[in-house]
Amino acid sequence: METILEMRNITKKFGDVIANDNISLDVKKGEIHGLLGENGAGKTTLMNILIGLHQPDSGEIIFEGRPVKFKSPKDAIKAGIGMVHQHFTLVSKLKVLHNLILGFKTPKDPLICEEWIKNRVNELSSIYGIEVDVDELVMNLSVGEEQRVEITKSLFRNVKLLILDEPTAVLTPQETRKLFSALKEMTKKGLTIIFITHKLNEALDVTDRITVLKRGKKVGTLETNSVTKRELAKMMIGRELSSKLEKKNFPLERVVLKVRNVWIQDDRGVITVKGVTFSVNAGEIFGIAGVSGNGQRELEEAIAGLRDPIKGEITVNGKSVKQSRDEIAYIPEDRIGVGLALQLSVIENLMLKDFRKYKKGLSLDFKKMEEKALKLTNEFSIIYPSLHSPASTLSGGNIQRLILARELSRKPKLVVASQPTRGLDIAATEYVRNKLVSEAERGCAILLISEDLDEILELCDRIAVIFDGKIVGVLPRSEFDVERIGYMMGGSAG
Amino acid sequence: MKYTVHLASIVASMVIVGVLLISMNIDPIEAYSIMFQRSFGSKFGLTELFVKTTPIILTGLSVAIPFKAGLWNIGAEGQLYMGAFAASLVALYSKNPYLTIPLMFVFSAFLGVLWALIPGILRAKFGLNEILSTLLLNYVAIYWVEYLVYGPLKGKKVYNFPYSDLFPKYAILPRLLETRFHVGVFIAIFLAVLIYFLLTRTEFGFSIRVVGANPKAAEYAGINKDKIIIYSMMLAGALSGIAGMIEVSGIHMRLKCNISPGYGYAGIPVALLASGNPIGVVFAALLFGFLYVGGSALQTTYSIPVAIVYVFQAIIVLFIIAGDALRGRKLWKFLHH
Repeated sequence: METILEMRNITKKFGDVIANDNISLDVKKGEIHGLLGENGAGKTTLMNILIGLHQPDSGEIIFEGRPVKFKSPKDAIKAGIGMVHQHFTLVSKLKVLHNLILGFKTPKDPLICEEWIKNRVNELSSIYGIEVDVDELVMNLSVGEEQRVEITKSLFRNVKLLILDEPTAVLTPQETRKLFSALKEMTKKGLTIIFITHKLNEALDVTDRITVLKRGKKVGTLETNSVTKRELAKMMIGRELSSKLEKKNFPLERVVLKVRNVWIQDDRGVITVKGVTFSVNAGEIFGIAGVSGNGQRELEEAIAGLRDPIKGEITVNGKSVKQSRDEIAYIPEDRIGVGLALQLSVIENLMLKDFRKYKKGLSLDFKKMEEKALKLTNEFSIIYPSLHSPASTLSGGNIQRLILARELSRKPKLVVASQPTRGLDIAATEYVRNKLVSEAERGCAILLISEDLDEILELCDRIAVIFDGKIVGVLPRSEFDVERIGYMMGGSAG
Repeated sequence: MKYTVHLASIVASMVIVGVLLISMNIDPIEAYSIMFQRSFGSKFGLTELFVKTTPIILTGLSVAIPFKAGLWNIGAEGQLYMGAFAASLVALYSKNPYLTIPLMFVFSAFLGVLWALIPGILRAKFGLNEILSTLLLNYVAIYWVEYLVYGPLKGKKVYNFPYSDLFPKYAILPRLLETRFHVGVFIAIFLAVLIYFLLTRTEFGFSIRVVGANPKAAEYAGINKDKIIIYSMMLAGALSGIAGMIEVSGIHMRLKCNISPGYGYAGIPVALLASGNPIGVVFAALLFGFLYVGGSALQTTYSIPVAIVYVFQAIIVLFIIAGDALRGRKLWKFLHH
């Protein structure tokens, strides 16, 4: 097979951080090439350099035998390289049709020639087997459909090399499988794909070859069918995966959190939680699995006391949520938007909930707050420049540690944790999971809302699956089954 | 770092105004040195400088407190006028020589609070944009005072000018050094220190900072966001109200139109220059006081319109905003990689 893309000795620094350190990559025509690495390994940076979003400090790129230098993604697309980002870039109030041609001139420009677009889409779907409904509004699409629109958008521009950045993060297992078979079909027709992921199973499932990055450096490139998961993990994190977490206790009979027939509206006034009932016992980790946007956000906010249900009742140890505020620890999904204030200092963020307890006369006792903050940062091994630097100077993992430190140090009776490990590297992920398990062993009730099925399967005593604002079913540990949960996440009754 | 940008924006606006001055055939170096001499070079100049700085300190604080809570108080001007109105009522009708000045303070603060409370509540309870409501209420307040001095409060001994009668002696702030330098100067500085303590050391200040930095995080931390919004607006109104009292009682000695040449609006760039820091507000206010005093010096020396002062102010604001945005972008880029 001929080589379509070569990146040679790419180096890129941001300030003092070396994001890409002398990385070389070659991609063959018609293959699915996996780019595997932890968060912060430099995968996305490397691809952003390829499509011209960043300029490399040194190194060169050769595409289809010619050296190229893209000043912007527009240049890259012209040359035939397109990228589907983790966060989609569609305009939700426009039809698929109009999204496809954003920034693209149809033959009768400045008029939009809809007939021509439709023909072109039909043509593409007959070649690549990927179908989209061009007349639907994007806001009415499921996440999987949106993704197909994004991919079609790239194909529409005649790309020869398609980059997918963590494409499965938002998909159910079934949708993921559908995507994978579509990708394989496309490569048969001559398309080349670079598939960015940090999930070992996916890399093994779908790719032909894999390049592993670690801390900005390339570890190596391998044929997928000649490597095992263990070897791959070792390359990626530099050590073997630690054994599975053992939760050593069983839930007690005592109910802590009780949610009864709760209905909740979102900010726009749409009812997104429709009569949810469940309870969580002391010492139990209770998981809520589901694709995001099925009411999880509103449910977690209601349990944390930030959103009033329009109907139903939520109690913690028999008291209302508002009364038991001090007993609830909340690790919000949106860490930066809700969990802390980036421009406030580390100490201010650590004291966000408890500063009132440090009154001294008319003022606050800053010395005592500092002592406490130092103790917390040690206990939760938070790495920070100084207590008075803004929280924005912390890395993602340390931001989550800071939130954990603040929340768990208050000795909660209930922990509501939403996507607690999303975007964290393996070490930080393990740390967070260990903390949750040890809180449960202490007798705390834990509600874990997560899209990461592996996480939920590993940690939870029971799993509820949420779809369209309703609990589709609750499974005890003995009945855990990925297939079944996957179907339930898609709305089928368990 | 933040203040370097602000200092740079002051220098940059001096350059641009310099170009403007050259276009009017005025040597900018000479003009700037006249501005300096007239404001720092004599007892009269210095006292005028402090007298002009005083209301700007107060309106600057009045913008700075809501600014820390993430709000824009564009209404300091109107709150100042309402404070002046309340103080004048007390001054004209109170007969008690000892209680008059204290009462003037209390009532001017009270009316300022009331005037700021309206946009505060509208914002907290109904989400109405406070920029619009505070701005619009300025016109109501300014025209209200105008109506009063043309009508009900028009004095009997003013030869039909739109003035109220002169305040009695006991309603006038004590003056020092046989100039217009009045004790209001000390009051403003004292209030700045007090607000500094309030914002940096107390529970209330902590809450304001959290609400300003991230309202959602504030709610999450159990801070009543609406209450903080309303309280910070009330405090802002009190300070501007007092500024109005100090102006009528310390300078004009009566109520009339145009008691403020835009002190309330000057408070906005002052608070911005100081990044909301109350001590910084004192120094930024000094700069703006200097612009007023120096500006009128330019006016008398070169007979150019005093509007050059407002041009100066506006350009400084533009540069601060542009500077902050640029700095922000660099930071943003760094953070996202």
